[in-house]
Amino acid sequence: MLDYSEPVAKLIDEFKRLPGIGHKNAQRLAFFILRRPKEDVERFVEALHEVKERIVFCNVCNNLTDVNPCLYCTSPARARDVICIVEEPYNLVAIEKTRSFKGLYHILHGALSPIRGVGPDELMLANLFPRLSPENNEGVEVAEVIVATNPTTEGEATANYIARLLKPLGIRVTRIAMGMPVGSDLEFVDEVTMDKALTNRHEI
Amino acid sequence: MLLERLEALNFRNLSGKIECSGHLNILFGENGQGKTNWLEAMHLLSTTKSFKTSRLKETICFGEELGIVRGSVKKSAEITHELQVALQGNSKILSVNGKKETVQRYLGELHAVVFNSDELEIVRGNPDARRKFLDNGIVAIYPAFVQTLSDYNRVIKQKNSLLQSALDHDYSLEKTADLLAPWNEQLVSLASRIHKARVRFVERLNTVLEKKLFGREEISIRYASSLEGRGDLGDYAALIEERLKFRVQAELVSGHALIGTHRDDLEVTFDGLDLRKFGSSGQQRSALLILLIANVSVYFEQNGEYPLFLLDDVDAELDYRRIGQLLEFLNGKTQTFVTTSKDSFVERFSAGSLVFSIVGGHPELHRT
Ligand SMILES: [Zn+2]
Repeated sequence: MLDYSEPVAKLIDEFKRLPGIGHKNAQRLAFFILRRPKEDVERFVEALHEVKERIVFCNVCNNLTDVNPCLYCTSPARARDVICIVEEPYNLVAIEKTRSFKGLYHILHGALSPIRGVGPDELMLANLFPRLSPENNEGVEVAEVIVATNPTTEGEATANYIARLLKPLGIRVTRIAMGMPVGSDLEFVDEVTMDKALTNRHEI
Repeated sequence: MLLERLEALNFRNLSGKIECSGHLNILFGENGQGKTNWLEAMHLLSTTKSFKTSRLKETICFGEELGIVRGSVKKSAEITHELQVALQGNSKILSVNGKKETVQRYLGELHAVVFNSDELEIVRGNPDARRKFLDNGIVAIYPAFVQTLSDYNRVIKQKNSLLQSALDHDYSLEKTADLLAPWNEQLVSLASRIHKARVRFVERLNTVLEKKLFGREEISIRYASSLEGRGDLGDYAALIEERLKFRVQAELVSGHALIGTHRDDLEVTFDGLDLRKFGSSGQQRSALLILLIANVSVYFEQNGEYPLFLLDDVDAELDYRRIGQLLEFLNGKTQTFVTTSKDSFVERFSAGSLVFSIVGGHPELHRT
């Protein structure tokens, strides 16, 4: 027998599919929804609907967008000779906030992780290669690919895998540096970060 | 470092506090009264972990929300830190001087080395106990090594998972090698760092090793790389890289990562014989103490202070002759805590020490 009537059990089940949500939290969310006014719930459903209806993966860079290709890929203000590879759309957002990168992006939607069943075929990587030919890039040759995957073992493996594919094609592949957060006092940097920063030191 | 005072609240059966001696502290009591629980509390305060259980929830007094262990640690003549570990369920809140701290920062505050029956695994158990002994010793003097170890373990886990699915899906050798490459590249650099750190640490242990502290036999240690006899260990990175390439097929067939520092060992011998196989239980205990003391000495060399030395049920594990030699050696060096259930032990070793009777978890200073 179910603990709750069928519609409630079904809702709990759906919440449990969300990342990071266990049974307890799923119950809390379900009961939160049950107590909301009908208009609120409808607005929520509408938002879910709309996001699935209108948001697609950009054909070129895999960014989430409501116009295809996305605004980054079609912007005349972006430098077309450098592509920055990130794991997730929110990594792109973080880089954009710096305003210091003016090139194009490519989003993998994940990183290599055999434990989670993510191999090269599960990454959105295949559509990177056509982009490297000038005829598919408004006549511009891609001179550099910056790999900005996370500094985890999974992110490193992904970066390494991509470098192995691109280097034979004669493209310059670079990895973003890891280390000290700027504006922080040396005293307050943890040893692991300091270690990375020392390893990645450069000539001045 | 000096643990001046230790208090426990809703932790196991403990109550009250211990005002500690900077030298020897004897916790004396019948079995089941809570002597070992006090050592566990000290261990928790220093490492944030219990040596008895991985589920900290079990240590909270039944029916209570919050278990607390708290201690004053004198860092120097004028600086004392109030450390606290508060347990709620399986989570813990660490604080120094009333301010919340991350585990990484907290861990430098108080260091302790334990001798108990579990630690005997180091001298008579599997290689992983000895690797853990080395790794913990390295982390104590070089905290960033934690990250290297955890990255390495992660890479091995990913590699095992990859090899397992390669086996399940009948991948070709070439495809497997291709998929392994990004993981093996990290493995090479991480294993090289671990190998170098462990070899260096064993060298340091060797320079301070009291080879004949307890008897006529000479204890020796040596880091035994699993790549020994396979090439030039002096260029470890090149060697392991070559071995990884050469053994892809074997790894594919077994479905496991076969090459790396997770297959290494610390060789412990007495007069040239393998201690694990040929050592008597007394010889094994002596060797363990010699290793722990060397560990303590290296820590001192690095940090200019000694860690706490916690000896659980010391008279069940060692005879009085060895205990006497040990305490004499530690005297003037470490702040030492021993538990015992024997009157004769107290009579024999209590000179210059503080003795606490533990009854029902409560410590009472013994006046002699
Ligand atoms: Zn795009």
